[in-house]
Formats: sequence, structure tokens, C-alpha cells
Amino acid sequence: MIHVENLNKNFYVHKKEPGLKGSLKSLFKRQRIEKKALDNLNLDISEGEIIGLIGSNGAGKTTLTKILSGIIHPTSGTVSVMGYNPWDRNDHYRSQMAVIMGQKAQLWWDLPAMDGFLLLKEIYQIPPKDFYNRIEFLSEYLNIKEQLNIQIRKLSLGERMKVELMAALLHGPKVIFLDEPTIGLDLSAQKAVRSFIKEYRKEYNPTMILTSHYMDDIEELCPRISILKEGRKVYDGSLSLLHQKYATNKIISIDAKTENSYEILKANLPKEMGKVERLDRKVIVYTPRDKAMDTTKYILSQLEVQDFNISEQVVGDVIESILSQKGEV
Amino acid sequence: MKSWGLQVFLMQLRKLVAYRLDFWVNFLGQTLFSLLIAYFLWSSIFSSSLQANINGESLQSMIFYYLMAPLVFRIQQGQGIGFLSREIYDGGLNKYLLYPIDYFKFKLSAYLANSFFFTLQLFAILCIYNLFFYDSTIYAFSFLYTLYFLISLLIGTCTFFFYFSTAELLAFWFDNTWSLGVALRFITSFLGGALIPLSFFPEWSTKALAYTPFPYFINLPMLIIQQKITHEKVFEQIFISILWLIVFYFISKFIWKKGNLVYSGVGI
Repeated sequence: MIHVENLNKNFYVHKKEPGLKGSLKSLFKRQRIEKKALDNLNLDISEGEIIGLIGSNGAGKTTLTKILSGIIHPTSGTVSVMGYNPWDRNDHYRSQMAVIMGQKAQLWWDLPAMDGFLLLKEIYQIPPKDFYNRIEFLSEYLNIKEQLNIQIRKLSLGERMKVELMAALLHGPKVIFLDEPTIGLDLSAQKAVRSFIKEYRKEYNPTMILTSHYMDDIEELCPRISILKEGRKVYDGSLSLLHQKYATNKIISIDAKTENSYEILKANLPKEMGKVERLDRKVIVYTPRDKAMDTTKYILSQLEVQDFNISEQVVGDVIESILSQKGEV
Repeated sequence: MKSWGLQVFLMQLRKLVAYRLDFWVNFLGQTLFSLLIAYFLWSSIFSSSLQANINGESLQSMIFYYLMAPLVFRIQQGQGIGFLSREIYDGGLNKYLLYPIDYFKFKLSAYLANSFFFTLQLFAILCIYNLFFYDSTIYAFSFLYTLYFLISLLIGTCTFFFYFSTAELLAFWFDNTWSLGVALRFITSFLGGALIPLSFFPEWSTKALAYTPFPYFINLPMLIIQQKITHEKVFEQIFISILWLIVFYFISKFIWKKGNLVYSGVGI
């Protein structure tokens, strides 16, 4: 469905020295810097699959989304989405694709959402029956029916995101790029958007690429993830495999009756058994997976324990550790 | 215009009437202001020259000119400076690139909605003017000339859209082109006849201007509405303005194509 091969994208930015002197100098002479946004990227996504794109700011996630949706041209490389070259901007391709941008709106700010939907009905040539059925389905599921005739600017951020989702999905796209769909939303709105995406997938099974900084979005929606770092892909595979491969530690959380339990463990826990930290009243031990049993025994022998818990490292921490490693992973 | 074009046109009209205060200030305020300036300026010019006519124009005909010419220019300016460059600068262009439609048709539909709104304004003001100051030597209604006037306005507006697009699209390379737009608008209003009627220009310059697109923006519709041009000349001038429309259409399309290669879609 989506095939990306040796994709490169370089941007040129102008460097400006700080201060007024720098600004005046740049009126006559500017230093141009080449910035590599994507570096020889390869990616394959099957029909109906959903993949989470993860990476720090500037890792190239949004650039990739922009190239796949045909907004910008790459520097080199080949891309095929449903057999189309995106930046040819073929109308057949654009009729079957949607981009949802958490930070950008496509609906008209001064008019109600319904006006925008009617325009999209004409742009995508949606038959009236399908159009009204989809409006019914989407507005009901997103619980936004009452807000469709209110000016967009008067809606809350969560409501705006919901109508933007509706706008992007009205034409029944086969490929959907979701770029930070939950950014800035409160927890309940984030949850509503996530559960809507899940339901929508069950109903229509589109191919999706989700970019998000919220690990809840990724964990709940994407069985497969691709981690980008400085424009290069450093991991591509299932979330569970990522855990097995890179979650080197287990987390032991202890609530002990013993006085100064943190200090005791900090001073006595053998180095190979892990790292000790304090979190409020609790003591946290990050121990290597293969040492978890021994470490547990050791802690129980040293402290009078009130509450005890062993858990896996959270995905976010695993990813963070991958992203913070220097060079190749 | 395809049905989505009509929808864009209607939505843009709805947007223009969405805010009451903005609507009335837009509709009457600016015209009243420019009319007052023209009245005081030309009254003092006429009284100091001690002549009833200057360059064959009476005070009332000058005031009529200064009432209509800015409105004609406003019609052609549609959405004003920044109608394309702003969206290139802030990444708002992205959404249009995703639609399975022609970008220029979309933007032209919205642009024409503004022009349509200002055309209604022009006719409303023309009616009010004739109600109080009717003088058949200055303005006399003619169905045919009104039709010519509307055609010249439509062609002039489309030409101005593509003409101005050539500057707006430079935002692909220079990000902010606001000052360029202001300069271009000033030059066009001066050489087009919005600031001073072209009949006041030296003969050699009006001859030279005939080879440029400027007279077809303001001067031609003004000559038509004042019925100072023969039927044959109207056809000839409209034909030339269509040629300018075609020229600017292709130039802006070319710049658009080149600009897209460097577009980075910032702000997504």
C-alpha cells in the first residue's frame, strides 16, 4: 500500500546572528545551512495496517507525512502510495487520502462546520445519501451533533478536533495520515478521539500512519511502530518486540516499614543489581531483567516490606532510552 | 465554475457578512472617507484655479470619478494583499494541496466573491449618488454600457488576480512579500488611473501605458461607465485585456509550479 525507498529530504535554512547587528548583517549576507530532515529512509506499510511514527521534535516525522501526502517534494528517493507518486498530486490519489493535522484546521474559522462539510461534499463529489449517512455516523459517534451549526471559532479545542476529524473522513479515505491528532486536548477528549479512531478502523479498515508524542495514543492504537531519529529509521517493528528487545530493566517499587530504607538500599545494593531512586515515600529499583529474582530476594532480606510491586518498564521510557543513545541503536 | 467553485463563492460571501460592524464599515465607511477627501481636495483646486473646467472636467465630474475609481480598484483587488502569500508563509496552503481540485480555481472563486460584494457596493453607491446629484452629462444609465462595464470589471478582476499572484507567489522564496504587494498596489493604482485620471497624464505616457496592463484595470471601466468610449473601442480594449489575462495566467502558473518545488509547508 505504502512503499518508501531511499527517501531523502534536505531543507535550507538561513542562519542569523543574534541581536540587531546580526539582523542588519543578514540584510546583505546570510549564511545558508543545509538541514537533513530525512536520511535514506525505507518503509513499507500494508493495506489496512496502522503504524505509529515516533521520534523527538525534528526527527522527520512530519516531513515524512508531508511527502506521503504530496504537500512537499523530496530531495531524492521513491514513494508509492496506492500506486501513486504523491507529489504528482493526482486527483484520484487525493480523493482517497486524508491528512488530519492537530495543529492546523481545514475548516473555515468564521463559519459553522456544516458549511465546511457541504463544501467538502462538492470537492470530493460525495453522493448526497453517502454524505448525510456519514455525517450521521460520525457526529453521533463523536457526540458533536449539536455543535455542527456553530461557528468554528466558538467551539472548544476538543470540539474543533472532532469536527476536523469529521471533515477529514467524510469522503471515506483509504489512507489516513494523523499528525498529532490529540495535541493540546484534555485527557477525556484525548480518550474520545482515540476510541473514535479505534471504532472507525473497525468499521472502515483504512491504512493509517499516526504521529504522536503521547504514548497512550501509540500504545492503544498502533501494534507496529517506527522510530525516527535525525531523519533515520532506528526501529521498525511491533511494540511488544520493542519491549522484549530494549526494555532491559524491570522496575521494583517498595513501600517499606524500615526507617531510611532508601539510604540502606542505596548504600548496600550491589551495583550489578541495578539503580536505586526515591519517589515520594517509595523506593524504586531499576534492575536488569535477568537479575530481577535475585534483587527481589536481596531487598526482602534487607527491609521490612509493607508493599511490593514488580513491573515492566513503560514503553515511553524504552523509546526515550533508544532516542537518547548516541549513534545507531 | 464547478459546483464546488460556487460553494466556495457562497461561503466567502457568508464570511463577508458574518460580522455586522465589519460589514457596514466595509460597505460604506471607506467610500465615505475617500469621497470626503476627494471633495475637499478638488474643491480647493477648482477654487484656486478660478476655472469651471480643468482638463475638460468639471468639479462634479471629478467627484464622480473619485467616487467610482477607488470602488472599481477595490473590486479588482478582491481579497487584498496577502491572499496567497499569507498562506504560503504560515503553511495554510497545505490544506488546498490535499484537495483533488485546481488551487487557482479555488482561490479565484473566493476572490470573485469579494469582488462581487464590492460590485454590489459600487451599484448601491451609484444609486445613492444619482438620487441626490443626478446629472445626465456625468452619468446616464445605458443597459449596453452597464453590460460592457460589468464585462470589463470581470476581466479586469481576473487579470488582476493573476497579475498580483505573480508577486504573491514569490513568498515561496522570500517568505514575506507584504511590502512588495503594497508597492505593486500603489504603482498599479497610479498607472491605472485610481489616483489621477489618465487623461491628466502627458500624451506620450498614456501612449506608452497602452502597451502595459495598467489602463485596463481602472481606466477602461471608468471610461465605459462615463460613456467616454465608443462601442468599437470597447471591444478592442476588452480584447487586449483578455490577452493580458492570458499572459498573467501563464506567468503565475509557471511561478506556482517552480515555487512548489521549494515549498516546505512550515506550520503544519
